[in-house]
Amino acid sequence: MAAGPTVKQILQAYPGKILLVIKNYPYKYRDFSKIAAEATLAARDQGKYWEMHDLLLARSPKLDRASLIAYAGELGLNVKKFSESIDNGKHAPEIDRDLKLAESIDLYNTPTLYINGRQIVGERPFAFFKKIIDEELNTAGR
Amino acid sequence: MFLCLPVCGFSGHLEELGMAPTPTNNLQTPAKVELGKKLFFDRRVSGDGTMSCATCHDPKQGFSDGLEISLSYPTTRNWRNSPTLINVAFQARLFHDGRSASLEEQALFPMMSAFEMNQNLDFMEEEIRSVPEYLAEFKEVFGDPDVTRERIAMAISAFERTLVSRHAPLDRFLGGDKTALSPEALQGYSIFTGKGKCTDCHFGAKLADDQFHALQVQENPEHLTDPRIAATRRFVAKVSGFQDYRTLAEDPGRYLVTKDQKDWKAFKTPTLREISGTAPYMHNGIYATLDEVIEFFDAGGGKGNTVLKPLQLTAAEKGRLKVFLEEGLTGEKTTFTYPKIP
Repeated sequence: MAAGPTVKQILQAYPGKILLVIKNYPYKYRDFSKIAAEATLAARDQGKYWEMHDLLLARSPKLDRASLIAYAGELGLNVKKFSESIDNGKHAPEIDRDLKLAESIDLYNTPTLYINGRQIVGERPFAFFKKIIDEELNTAGR
Repeated sequence: MFLCLPVCGFSGHLEELGMAPTPTNNLQTPAKVELGKKLFFDRRVSGDGTMSCATCHDPKQGFSDGLEISLSYPTTRNWRNSPTLINVAFQARLFHDGRSASLEEQALFPMMSAFEMNQNLDFMEEEIRSVPEYLAEFKEVFGDPDVTRERIAMAISAFERTLVSRHAPLDRFLGGDKTALSPEALQGYSIFTGKGKCTDCHFGAKLADDQFHALQVQENPEHLTDPRIAATRRFVAKVSGFQDYRTLAEDPGRYLVTKDQKDWKAFKTPTLREISGTAPYMHNGIYATLDEVIEFFDAGGGKGNTVLKPLQLTAAEKGRLKVFLEEGLTGEKTTFTYPKIP
């Protein structure tokens, strides 16, 4: 499932009030999930995280190395740098750290979102998040 | 002459919630309940170790998952809403289409289901058997440490039978406490049992008739837009022996079980207890709020249905009915203790 469109809607609805932190959780039984996570982070290095994120969801399951490099070209990224990044596993420590964090808090499902510590498992409509965010903002007096 | 009334209630009649029925071949013991609770939360029952029964039946979400379409095995999609397990012990048939007649039978279905937990039951037995703490508990509960799928299901069922919502204002009201319902809820109760015709199907202690009705609830649009849901629909239809499964574009409901045309798109009447905490509603979660559900019934159900007729409730009546559903059917709060998984 993909929470991306809803997350973007939330960010637009609460400008300056939401800090979004994204953690990686590549599914262990998918051949290309780790390299796809590498690809989004390599794209982030070049300022196009969301563009790559959205493209990968649209093109899934074609997420093999050659496809990822082609997507980088499609997005106008520096393909050489991008390729080196995913080939060298530049962001593997960050991805592994995220996986360990998920394991430590008994988290197995994607997407799982936390809003000020309140856990929400699964894709939800914007209205669902709005209610929680408004409550949290009220509590924080913002 | 004596008139014998069925103990499960009859149309229009409401009853206090009594003790949860227990099958004679799976009696409740504290140790069995505790074992079942651990297995309920144990991700070993899923093929990839990411899901437990609690994933879709979360205590924090009214033992449902709060989603229109239930959570699913990674990379797949489910096709129906996760029903609450609250008061599930009182239900005569399980699943929206009633394909299981006991909790013991039901418990293994989602574990095997390709789009739910996708586990191989032979493998699951061996996984559970490899945990020494479980072996000791199976011995205590069943007399020997043998781990079988049947015993796993029995223990989980025993735990599920403890998920009972008790002492709702309605129960206290029916027990003689005339102040148990607020004035507005009491007005809603009158609509519930009268003009709203709710007790035609939602009666007895469980507030359900154990029947299946084709109300022609609209299809969830996601069924038409997500190819993964379409795959699930075709798969279920195929394994149910539905001949034209490849072209099936809607959820046939109970028909897949009975192959009886009267059951086409018929779904089980759900309990209404704890209804305020188990949104979204209907078999496909199409209604996010009780207001939407009330509007659906007030309009006489879905297009083409022959079960319901328009109710012509006023806005005030709808509001009071909602108050009754929210206040009157919500049981005493209980604290849930999570188990430590071995």
